[in-house]
This record gives sequence, structure tokens and C-alpha cells, in this order.
Amino acid sequence: MKTVVITGASSGIGLETARLLARLGYNVLGIGRSEANCNKAKELILSENTNAKVEYFLADLMQQREVNRVSEKINAYLNERCNGELHALINNAGCVRSWYMTTYEGYEQQFALNHLAGFLLTYKLLPALKKAQGRVIMTGSDSHKGIKVHWNDVMLRHRYNPLTAYKQSKLCNLLFAKGLNDRFASDGIRAYVVDPGLVNTDIGNKDTGFLVNLIWKIRKKHGVSPDVPAKTYAYLCEVKDVPDGLYFYLCKEKNYSKEVTKENADRLFELSERLCDIQYGKVGMT
Amino acid sequence: MNVMITGAAGGLGRAMANECASRGYNLFLTDINEDGLTCLKQGLERQFSVTVTTMACDLTNTESVDKMLDVIDKHGIRFDMLLNVAGMDYEGEFMGHEREKLVKIVLLNNAATLRITHAIIKRRRPGKKFTIVFVSSLASMFPMPLKATYAASKRFLLDFATSLRQELKRQDVNVLTLCPGGMVTTPGAINGIKAQGFWGDATTNPLEGVVRNTIDRALSGKRLYVPGMLNRILSFLGKIIPSTWVAKVIYWRWKEVSHNGSAS
Ligand SMILES: NC(=O)c1ccc[n+]([C@@H]2O[C@H](COP(=O)([O-])OP(=O)(O)OC[C@H]3O[C@@H](n4cnc5c(N)ncnc54)[C@H](OP(=O)(O)O)[C@@H]3O)[C@@H](O)[C@H]2O)c1
Repeated sequence: MKTVVITGASSGIGLETARLLARLGYNVLGIGRSEANCNKAKELILSENTNAKVEYFLADLMQQREVNRVSEKINAYLNERCNGELHALINNAGCVRSWYMTTYEGYEQQFALNHLAGFLLTYKLLPALKKAQGRVIMTGSDSHKGIKVHWNDVMLRHRYNPLTAYKQSKLCNLLFAKGLNDRFASDGIRAYVVDPGLVNTDIGNKDTGFLVNLIWKIRKKHGVSPDVPAKTYAYLCEVKDVPDGLYFYLCKEKNYSKEVTKENADRLFELSERLCDIQYGKVGMT
Repeated sequence: MNVMITGAAGGLGRAMANECASRGYNLFLTDINEDGLTCLKQGLERQFSVTVTTMACDLTNTESVDKMLDVIDKHGIRFDMLLNVAGMDYEGEFMGHEREKLVKIVLLNNAATLRITHAIIKRRRPGKKFTIVFVSSLASMFPMPLKATYAASKRFLLDFATSLRQELKRQDVNVLTLCPGGMVTTPGAINGIKAQGFWGDATTNPLEGVVRNTIDRALSGKRLYVPGMLNRILSFLGKIIPSTWVAKVIYWRWKEVSHNGSAS
């Protein structure tokens, strides 16, 4: 049985992906921040198939100490019951913030959750991913196009704008995936980014102000149901001949921003390692 | 430049700390939340090459403050700037709260702020300019039913700061009072803003801009900073409209908002 870890698996795209993968026979380990939503999600999955293998872990992934804590729990679980193997990690948890807000470390929240959380969690789970020659899948978005990383002010302390912060964090997802492939493809690990398209979820209505709320309420009506993008994750988990591409929409490769270069990926790696106080080159040495 | 920030682990304190660190200032951060200070220190040191010292302290407790001052003196730390950020509020009717909770607002917002201000002015770097910021609030401009204690405690800071500024003017000290409207510093703040609908967005000041302007203005000798045009208009109205009328309007408005807030 293959094991998959999905962050933000308590609602929206993450939940539908968890449902689908559970149906396909995966051992699903979901991460969410709300106990109530996690319990509901688990019940839903079990109600469809009482034999489904599903477990939820609670963590506010925006906070690095929480990522560290939950990854220890998951590693222990994997070692105990899964032979230390992880076949796929889906870094999907994400948020939108109307205003500049910070985590306990003082990092801007969209950057912290949409990018850094996945960067740190992947690092923590890398030994298990290596062992299973696993895949790392990020939830990206086409909104990553038409923007550059604000290298001199990634936290956007000068002129914060919700859309800029969101777009930049989604560009970071692609840069991170590219950086992972450059470093670990030789170990059998592959990283991908899924473009879910416009999806009818509540992401823009959680912890946002009046304007963002209003815009998203109107916009999400045009979105597809979250079980549509879920198929692309399942495809990337299942497909036997490892695809070479990086960015996928409806199970097909798609072109991405010219900003996704080795130079930018390396730069993001270096910055993120510093912000998380880790070194990918030294995985497994601690 | 050495800067002391109180209430550093909260939303506004973290933003202030980031702003100061990005300018290359060394920081002495204090807060009652020790874990928060540890995380913030890590975050700042990973981003900026500045020295960050932290010490958890309950500013309402004399012993706790004395202990912190001992550490400061032992290391011979002297300051160029003090940012008084620590403060608290419990919203709602005066009689709806426990007695000691209400008293605590004044103990922290006023008594503790005086304590730390006195102590840190004494520990200013000799022969150098010194800058103090008090974080008051737009609420200091009006009597505010349902935020009565808080608003009055912030008025105390505003008036106190103006007087202190005059006393210390010849000693190369500037005192600035910051009177922001709503700022999104806590997850809870978002719900409050949401409950006000359009007006919530309109009166909300962007945190990152407020902290940058606050430091700029404090360093250039300004007295008062009310961020945002709308808030400046409101504070002006607060001066010309009779305070009993203001109290009435505010009471009905907040009643409605808290009603909406609990309904949603
Ligand atoms: N919807 C779209 O049109 C669209 C388009 C492109 C990309 N995306 C991306 O898709 C991903 C999923 O979004 P969605 O649309 O499915 O939104 P969603 O329904 O709000 O799902 C977000 C998930 O992340 C969880 N989460 C939020 N903050 C968290 C935190 N601090 N720690 C841990 N978990 C947290 C949420 O938990 P709760 O259940 O507790 O809220 C939820 O499970 C995001 O990365 C988003 O950027 C969405």
C-alpha cells in the first residue's frame, strides 16, 4: 500500500484529493489546522469506504515549530507502519490574506504558508521520500505568471498587496519544484506543480477582509468543483513512466513562466534554507 | 542604534521589530510571551544581520521589571529608542467584565508604560538623541462606550506624551504618539473588521506602512501620527463635535457591529 501526505486536506482541493486517493487505495495522511474540519473530513472518507486508510494530523503549518512537530509525528508513523516510505507529498495548504500579517517568526503569512511550510515539510520528510522514490506535488496556480520574485522584499513590507503576495508565493511553488528536481531527480524523487484552474472553494473567504471576500464570492461561482483538479494529483501519483514535465493542468503538461529558471530556483533555495534554518544538502545528517 | 520594544511578540510589535531590524538597528525585545520572543528572534536573525536580545517580562510586575533592568545594567546596554507597544483591551460593556480584568487594562496600558518609560529614559545612551514612541489609538480621540476603559487609557497616553515631550525637549528627546485606527495584528482582528463590512476595510490601516511611517516621523521630531485620511477626519470631528453626541453615535454603531459580529 502506498502512503501519501496531503497538507490542507480538510477542505477544498486537498479534501477532494484525499477522498480520491483513499478510493484508489492509498494510505492517506492528511494535515489540517482545524480539529473540527479534520474530523469531518475523516468521517466523510470513512463513510464512503469503511476500509479506507486515512489519518489526520493537526498543525498550523504557517508556524515553523508546528511544521517541525507534525513532521516528527508523521515520520514516527511512517517508520512504525509504512516501512519508513512515503510515496507522495502533496503541499497544498494555502491561504489568502487581505493585509500584511506575520507569523510568530515575523514572516509574511502567505509566503510562510504557501511556500515556506512546504519547503520545510518536504525537507523533514525527504528521507522517507527518498526511500520510496516518491513524488512531491505542489498546488500552484496560473496566477504565478506575470510576476517576478521581489528579492529585495519577499515579505512585501513595502507596499503589500494581497494579489502580489499570492502570485509571488505561487511562483515560488514552481521554483521550489524545479529546485527539487535539479537536486534530487538523481535520487529518484520528482517534483511537480498542479494548476487546479479556477476552483469553487472558500479560500478567499477565510480570514480576509470585505473587498477580497466580495471579489472571491463572485469569482468562485465560475470555478469548477474541486474533484476536477483532484484527478491531476491522482494522475501524478499513479503514472508509471515518470513524466519529465514540471507543471500540469487536467493531467497534461502546461507551459509556465519564464521566471522559472535555475538561477531563480537556486536563489529561492538559498533564501528559504536560511529562513527555515535548514540545509537540504545535509538531509539525514542530524 | 539600540531599540527597546515592549509587546514585541504581538502583531504590531513584530512588525515594528521587522522594520527596525531592516534598518540595521539592534533590538532588545520584551513581551510576556516567551515562546513568541524566541520565534521572533530566530526570524529576525535569519533575515537581518542585527543583534537581537530578548527577555520575557511581565511589565505589570515590579519585580519582573527590576530583574530585566538588572540584566540590562549588567550588560551595560544603553538605548537610543523606546517603542511602547505593549497594551491590551477587553471589549464590551464595563459592567459585563470581571472587576480585576478591567483594572488590568490600566495597569498595563498606563502604569506599566510609565514604569518602563521612566526606567529606559534613565538608561538612554549618553550624549545621543533619544526617541520615544507611545502606541495610543484613534480611540483616544473620543469617549468610547463599550471600549470605555481602553479609550480612556489611550487618552492618558496621548496627554501624558504631549506633556513629557515638552519636559524633555531641551534634552534632545523626541516623543511621538501613534494613534492608529484598526490594524490587522491578530487573527481575531479580522473578524472585527469583517463585521464592519465596507467600513472595516476603509478604516483599516496597513500595518507595514504604519510602522515605517511611525519610525520615520518619530526620528524626524514629529509629535503625533494618525495614519489614514479618514482617521484624520474622524479625529478632527472628535474635536469639534460635543463629546456627549460622539458617545451616543459610537455607542449605537458598536452595538450594531457587535450584534452583526456575533450573528455571523
Ligand atoms: N480555489 C482556486 O481557485 C485555486 C486556484 C489555484 C490554486 N489554488 C490553491 O489550492 C490550494 C488549496 O486551496 P483551496 O482552494 O482548496 O482552498 P481551501 O478550501 O481554503 O483549502 C485550504 C486548505 O488549507 C488548510 N489550511 C489553511 N491554513 C492552514 C494552516 N495555517 N495550517 C494548515 N492548514 C491550513 C485549510 O484548512 P481549513 O479547512 O481549516 O480551512 C484547507 O484544508 C491553495 O494552495 C491555493 O492557493 C486554489
